[in-house]
Amino acid sequence: MSLSLGSRRLTVESRPVPSRLVRFLAPTFSVALAFVIGALILVATGQDPLLAYTEMIRKGFVGRLALTGTLIIATPLIFTGLAAVVSFRMKVWNIGAEGQFILGAVASSGVGLWVGDQVGGPLGIVLMLVAGALAGALFAALAALPRAYLNTDEVISTLMLNFVALGIMNYLIFSSFSFWRDPGRATFPVGKFVEDVLFLPRMVGRLHVGLIIALAFTVVIWWALRYTKWGFELMVTGDSPRAALYSGMRVDRKILSVLMVSGALAGLGGGIEVGGVLHNLDPRALSLGVGFTGIVVAALARLSPFGVIPVAILVASFSNAAPGLQVLGIPSEIVILLEGILFLCIVAGEWFLRNAIRVERTAGPAGAEAPAS
Amino acid sequence: MNESVLLLSLASAVVIGTPILLAGLGEMMTEHSGVMNLGIEGMLLGGGVVGFWMSTQQASLPLAMAVGALVGALFALIHAYLAVTLRVNQIVSGLALVVTGTGFASFVGSLNDSSLIYARPVSKFEPVFGEAFRDLPVVGPLVLGHDWVVYMSWVLVAVAAFWLFRTRAGLALRAVGEDPATADTVGIPVGLTRYVYTMIGGAGAGMGGTYLMAGIFSTYQHGISAGLGWIAFALVIFAGWRPWRALVAAYVFGALRNLGFSLQILGVDIPPDVLNVFPFFLTIVALMVISARPAAARRFSAPSALTVPYARESR
Repeated sequence: MSLSLGSRRLTVESRPVPSRLVRFLAPTFSVALAFVIGALILVATGQDPLLAYTEMIRKGFVGRLALTGTLIIATPLIFTGLAAVVSFRMKVWNIGAEGQFILGAVASSGVGLWVGDQVGGPLGIVLMLVAGALAGALFAALAALPRAYLNTDEVISTLMLNFVALGIMNYLIFSSFSFWRDPGRATFPVGKFVEDVLFLPRMVGRLHVGLIIALAFTVVIWWALRYTKWGFELMVTGDSPRAALYSGMRVDRKILSVLMVSGALAGLGGGIEVGGVLHNLDPRALSLGVGFTGIVVAALARLSPFGVIPVAILVASFSNAAPGLQVLGIPSEIVILLEGILFLCIVAGEWFLRNAIRVERTAGPAGAEAPAS
Repeated sequence: MNESVLLLSLASAVVIGTPILLAGLGEMMTEHSGVMNLGIEGMLLGGGVVGFWMSTQQASLPLAMAVGALVGALFALIHAYLAVTLRVNQIVSGLALVVTGTGFASFVGSLNDSSLIYARPVSKFEPVFGEAFRDLPVVGPLVLGHDWVVYMSWVLVAVAAFWLFRTRAGLALRAVGEDPATADTVGIPVGLTRYVYTMIGGAGAGMGGTYLMAGIFSTYQHGISAGLGWIAFALVIFAGWRPWRALVAAYVFGALRNLGFSLQILGVDIPPDVLNVFPFFLTIVALMVISARPAAARRFSAPSALTVPYARESR
């Protein structure tokens, strides 16, 4: 692809390895562009963008309350982001983190209600989280088994299963008198709360240890992808399923294990949201799109486990700042729009990582004949 | 009395099935070009909210629908640019579009102290045929009792089916979706085709959203689509990428949406949360059955180049 402009010629060529500078500049420029577009929208609708942005930074990051709030919201995003990283690295597209997250929450709240205060705090919490991860893994298996053995497209099946999970959760709280629902509240259905001993311990303010677990799993996933046979085979299968097959790897089992690990991460995220924040099965708080956002978070992190953390925190700061904007008379919904624009801009900016634009001076002044070939 | 309940619920299945059909038909055209746009929910809300706003501002309903379609197409243009020109992952781009469209609708809906939420369309979608026709038994409520959007959607189904399988342009479109390199070799503009049909998909979603808000509910609320865009996505797969099947499937999905109410009158209590799951559940089952049988897979599977970006230089 090339474009001639006077005596210059612009050539686009693919860049095998992006330089450090470009890897830094591309996303920075994209973020800046997103905020400029956001500012234009705010100005066009009669709002003050400077006020909105300072407030977003203030309410998202400045002070203990803002920071802990942001980190609490970031925690589930780190889990669903990691879930996407694991599967996308193998080019198996688990877009069912939303549903796996929900079922993780269903299972862990169920186990929490079931054990009550009978087994004590630490064991009870561990049981809840294990149940969450297990439920996520099994729910992912519903798509993974057909993918591995019938070659059923996992993009569609994982996507569809999200809504099955949502239906299950809504049914348990809104449409039945299930084990999960508080029988005392007939008019406004809510989930029963688990015992206080099953609350995840808190560190600072409302910030619970879920964040530490998320960071620990980030390290584990990074290590597993980089230093284990499992991670190596995952990469090879992702790059070339045929090469993996010919070298004797069991690709079907690989698909199964990767999708189930991915589901387990999302399910664990759901369990931690119940144990650390909600303490009951709350369909409204659990269907905010954490799974879908996690996929975009993973993509923006370029499928790097450690990259997921800062991106999740940035996205979380937006949500955390929303109520503060409303107080100033700026519709808090702007943060969702800004989030979307930011996603689109960064995704677009990735193009510069893969392609370079080279400016060449063509021989002679403008209008001169091109050199004979 | 049971028959009239059944008839009424079938008639309303047609109505609620119509936005699903419009959005699904659009997505079907998009996917035939090899582009998968997961952003239907976003385009439906984004296009719909502008179309709805037009309908509250003295605009005629056809104009509101056209504007809704245009805005939906503009949202789709973003996806086309990212997916076709920049060749980014279509799943990621589509999901980002869902967030953008949803955010756009919620933001527009919240401007001026949420005045849009309290606004109502100035005119209604009136039935096309006179009362004499509508009072006919069975065919009256089921076939002759609808507004023009329903009949337009039938025409669009016929046009889409004819276009896809009976015209040169349709052949070119399917060639781009099945084997873009070969299509390129015979001179079909792959990129342009994908842009055009991605935008057609957005137009369908925008029309569906406008009809949903200005026609069916006559109001705007945050999250009013309640996953209808995702049902439209499932519809394309459930229909095996065939327009006429989409027509039938859209009404099946539509019926499932409000079957709960009529079943309750008949004394059968199936909660709506369970019924809402059925379109997605049925699609998974259909997908598995099809992928397990090679003969069926050949006839009803996705276009081969779906989600695969095309780069001439890396052919």
